Amino acid sequence: MNIYEELMHGQGYAVIRVEDMKLFTKLRDSFIEKINISNGSGKNIDSLRKAMANMSKAEINKSMIDILKFTNLSEMMIKSFPKLTKSLCGKKLFIQRRATVIMNVPGKGQAKQWPHYELMSGISPFMYIIWAPLHDIEEMSGAFYIERKESLKIMKKEERAGLVNGPTALSMMKSQKPLQLKFGEAIIFNPFILHGNVTFDSKLARIASTVRFQSCNKPLLQKNSEYLKYYQLT
Amino acid sequence: MTVATITTDINIGPFKIPSNGQSMIMNNYAQRNNLAVELAIPEPLMSNYFATVLWLHKERKLSKVILTSIHQLPKKQDRIEELLKNMKNVEFHFALEGVSGKGKDFLLDTINESKIFMEARTIDSTKTTWSDLHKMMTKNEK
Repeated sequence: MNIYEELMHGQGYAVIRVEDMKLFTKLRDSFIEKINISNGSGKNIDSLRKAMANMSKAEINKSMIDILKFTNLSEMMIKSFPKLTKSLCGKKLFIQRRATVIMNVPGKGQAKQWPHYELMSGISPFMYIIWAPLHDIEEMSGAFYIERKESLKIMKKEERAGLVNGPTALSMMKSQKPLQLKFGEAIIFNPFILHGNVTFDSKLARIASTVRFQSCNKPLLQKNSEYLKYYQLT
Repeated sequence: MTVATITTDINIGPFKIPSNGQSMIMNNYAQRNNLAVELAIPEPLMSNYFATVLWLHKERKLSKVILTSIHQLPKKQDRIEELLKNMKNVEFHFALEGVSGKGKDFLLDTINESKIFMEARTIDSTKTTWSDLHKMMTKNEK
């Protein structure tokens, strides 16, 4: 599959494989080491997910502060997909200054992300987004993606009403089927793809990392050095 | 040894931040990073010469300075050299970018990063629409 064509003219997103699994596993281990959560049964990704599943939103937000210590997360994410990144953007990049780790807790009312486009935050239309779970994704606990033409149709409808993610986009939360991925798989998507997550039922929380990147030869929109940094692939 | 914040012109690279906004950003950064600010240095409008900072450094021996952004560093070569010569042992903090460090290499890398961002083209979001932005993306050539 030609990823570039799929992102620009196809469904707008694609499932990809981590290219450097050794580094990506190290990324996961670093996350486990840096986050200050323990249920007393030794630290691995599933024990962490189990402990996290019983935490309140406030407790999770507090633990997110520990992740600020993970200053090379962005580089590790990009270096986990070096060939793809280079093929899409070349060697000289603007990458997200701090890649994010998203922790989703199971249960009603816990879905954190309403359906949205990445572009609405002010990133450039030339930005790509990679979302990679740090473990296997069980049925219905992942994120959903709306294919490009449908996303665009909704975007135009809402644009006419002066909205960005209004009622049409928000109503999608109930009817979507999230993608199932294995550890070592990820989703790449363009900034116009509507995506979000649904309430899921599990004893384990969901943990994923995302990074945004673009060629530094392409224009920026509103996000600048406060959000991006210059990075050169070797 | 003094920790200082530095306010500058409202125009900071791609940003427009009034001096009270700069102070809020820097003081919040200081609080989050346990830095006790003892001095607030106002640099004049339309200048990134850092002349006031350099003069006060001689008087007060600054140990750490906090700026709002990497884009406030000098652009002119003679001013860069002056900064490197006199402030290479001072720890620089840039609140918006959340980066800090000291020494010639750190400062030169930071000045270079600011230059790369300033050379990047920017889409004027006040003169476009969601649909136009989508067209830009699909016409994108690698």
